[in-house]
Amino acid sequence: MKTDQVKKINYAYLLSYSLIPLAVAALSLSIGYTFFRDGGTGAGICMFIIPLLAVLWLIFAPRNIYRLGKKRMVKQLDEMGIDRRQIFYSDGCVVSMDIAKGKIGLLFFWNPFQVQVAPASRVSRAWTDDGAGGAGFMRGTSRVSFLFELDGIKIRVNTFISNQRWKMNDEKVLEGISKADLWVQVLEQARIQGGGV
Amino acid sequence: MGLIDKWLRKYQDDWCRECGCAMEKARKQLFAMPGVSVGHYTEHKEPEFYRKNLYIVDKKADIPPGIYACGAIQYRCPECARRVTVLAPFLPVRDEEKHEGSVVFRGGELDDFLWQ
Repeated sequence: MKTDQVKKINYAYLLSYSLIPLAVAALSLSIGYTFFRDGGTGAGICMFIIPLLAVLWLIFAPRNIYRLGKKRMVKQLDEMGIDRRQIFYSDGCVVSMDIAKGKIGLLFFWNPFQVQVAPASRVSRAWTDDGAGGAGFMRGTSRVSFLFELDGIKIRVNTFISNQRWKMNDEKVLEGISKADLWVQVLEQARIQGGGV
Repeated sequence: MGLIDKWLRKYQDDWCRECGCAMEKARKQLFAMPGVSVGHYTEHKEPEFYRKNLYIVDKKADIPPGIYACGAIQYRCPECARRVTVLAPFLPVRDEEKHEGSVVFRGGELDDFLWQ
C-alpha cells in the first residue's frame, strides 16, 4: 500500500509482460529450427505450442492480471478500513473514494500490483472531458472521461469508450457524461473534506 | 374510429381507457430520487418504492449530477373524472434527459403522497 507519489505505469511489469513472452517465443522458434528440422513432437512444441502460448499471454494476461488486481484492491481497502462504496471501475484504472476520511484509492492497468492510497487533499483539480468533436450532424464523441490532477499527475478515467463516434445525446454518451460529472463532484467534495485548496 | 385512434385510446397513458377520450393534465411535479444514481436504475412498479425515494424539487438544476429525477403528472378525464398518475423517471444530464420509460398508477395509489 503506497501513499507517496502516484505511479501510473510500472515499467518493469510493462517490459516483462511484453518482452519475456517475445523472448521465449523467439528462443523456442530458434530451438525448433536448430534441433527439430525434421518435424515431430519437439518441432510442434517449439514451433507452434510455445509461440502460441506467448501470443495468448500477450493478448489475455494483462486484463486478467488487472482483474485479479481489482479483487485484491477491494480486500486491501477493507483491511485498511477505507470505505469503498464509492468505487469506479474503468478500463485503465480503478478509483475508490472515501469522502469521510478524504482518501482516494487507485489501481492502474499498467501497475496492477500496487494499490495506491493518497489523501484527496492532494487532488488539485477535477473536470469532465466529453470528447465532443465534429460539427453539425457529425458532432459526437467516442470517449467520455473524468480527469483529475493528483500531485500534478493527470489521471484520466474513462466512463464511456467506443470505437465509433456517437451523438452527444445518445443514451450511452449521456450516461457516461453523468457518471463523469458525478465523479468530478465526488472528487471535489473529498478534496474539500480532506482540507485541499 | 380509425385503427390508430383505437390503439391510442387503448395504450396511451394520457387517454382514458373507459371513455376513450384525451385526458387533461391536472397537476405536475418534479421530484429527485437521491437513492438512485446513474448506472443503478431499475424499474419499480410498486408505489412503496416511490414513497421512500421521491423528494420534491423546484427545478432540474436543484438535482445533483448523476442523480435520477422523476416527473409526475396527474391526468384527469374530462368525461368521467377518472384520474391517472404517470411517473417518468429520467436522468438529467446537463441540458439533456435520459428517459427510462413511464410507470402508470391508475388506482390513486400515490395520490396522497404526490399531491399532498
